[in-house]
Amino acid sequence: MTDDSHPGPEPPPGNAKYIMVFVALCVLTAASFFTYSEGWPWKEHPEVGRTFMMAVSCTKAALVILFFMHLKYETGAWKYVLTIPAAMMSVFLVMALVPDVMLRGRRAAPEQFPNIPNPALAQPVDAAAEHPPAAAADHGEASH
Amino acid sequence: MTTESTATATAHGHDADHGDGHHGHIHLQYQPGLPLTNGKLILWLFLSTEIMFFAGLIGTYIVLRFGAPVWPTTHEVHLVEPIGAFNTFVLICSSVTVVLALEASHRNNSSSAKGWIAATLVLGTVFLGVKMYEYNSKFSHGIYPQWPRSRIYERADIYYASAVRERLRDIRSELDAQREGGLSEEQENRYQFVSELYDEADSQGFDAAAFAHRVMPAHRTHSHEEPVEGTSDGLNEEYPWLKLPIVIPGGNLWASTYFLLTGFHALHVVVGLIVFGFMLTMSLGAASAGTIECAGLYWHFVDLVWIFLFPLLYLF
Repeated sequence: MTDDSHPGPEPPPGNAKYIMVFVALCVLTAASFFTYSEGWPWKEHPEVGRTFMMAVSCTKAALVILFFMHLKYETGAWKYVLTIPAAMMSVFLVMALVPDVMLRGRRAAPEQFPNIPNPALAQPVDAAAEHPPAAAADHGEASH
Repeated sequence: MTTESTATATAHGHDADHGDGHHGHIHLQYQPGLPLTNGKLILWLFLSTEIMFFAGLIGTYIVLRFGAPVWPTTHEVHLVEPIGAFNTFVLICSSVTVVLALEASHRNNSSSAKGWIAATLVLGTVFLGVKMYEYNSKFSHGIYPQWPRSRIYERADIYYASAVRERLRDIRSELDAQREGGLSEEQENRYQFVSELYDEADSQGFDAAAFAHRVMPAHRTHSHEEPVEGTSDGLNEEYPWLKLPIVIPGGNLWASTYFLLTGFHALHVVVGLIVFGFMLTMSLGAASAGTIECAGLYWHFVDLVWIFLFPLLYLF
């Protein structure tokens, strides 16, 4: 359907670049796996490893989309129209779901404690005003 | 859509290559609305729905994972991180073979393109084989996404104690039924062992938590760590025929999310392999480059999903 006179996609990058991307993906996979090894220095802070792994995964995804799926070489705005809203939705979906699960256990009546996700973080409804969160956490553990 | 074309009318009356007879002839030139083929456009539209599909699954997993009061360690659910890393490597390799097939097709080298597609097919099959091995290791330990096959209990409570007694009773009944034909020495030993366990589980002071620890000790946080000295891998490992209920806090939610995510991903891999299988029957010259590109786009997306699933399921 395309016409020769119409600005089409640029020619694909060629095998050398594909191999470079492949090597980069392998190195990044090894970097992710490094967080699991004994040599990872932030074992005590899992959030550091998780942030690192997500950053690595996003970089890998970008490499696959740009080079293997040729999005870097496509012309026109269609690539943004089809990918950015879907990607934004995936982020917003998680953000919209987080409060429902993460916050529902922050304030709870004592009888609700056995059923809430994170009892250690919860604040009893009755004592919420008087007690600081640390004291509330003790209360949550004591209720078990 | 590409079919919604714009038409530009150009008067070529004074073009040098037009004779006088064509004076005033109007040449219609059609341009597609988007600079891509219909097949590729449809594939990208499909992929954008797929992004949303997997975003829903992965997003829900993240929320459930971090909202859960307790989440099992990889060792407790028999998840081996190096196997996941190997599968990631396999999928990355398969993505490369697809783009190499596309390059070969652009060069009109059909046999080379077929070779790369065959390599992709093999790599995808390896991925599925490894996944089946992983699933089997879960199933053999009684980790299923749903009752009654699942032997997972969230805590060592009276329901767990009751399930243990029921299972031991069942084993004893099976052996009793075979008794008429005569039991071998090994079966007799089993009977004695099961009877002892049953008496223990049926006693007044039965400690369900201690028993659950004997069935499956949770003494390692990572599967690569050495077992604690003086402990075993548990009764179920030592005597696979026992198949006793196990206690894995958070195990049911883990099993549901793990099998759902990896199951849907594996289903996508299967569809990709079917497509590649069909492509092997075709001539993959330059005329088929569009087909390879569309199949490749789908396959890269499958790889993309696994890029996120691997750290989320194995390393988080």
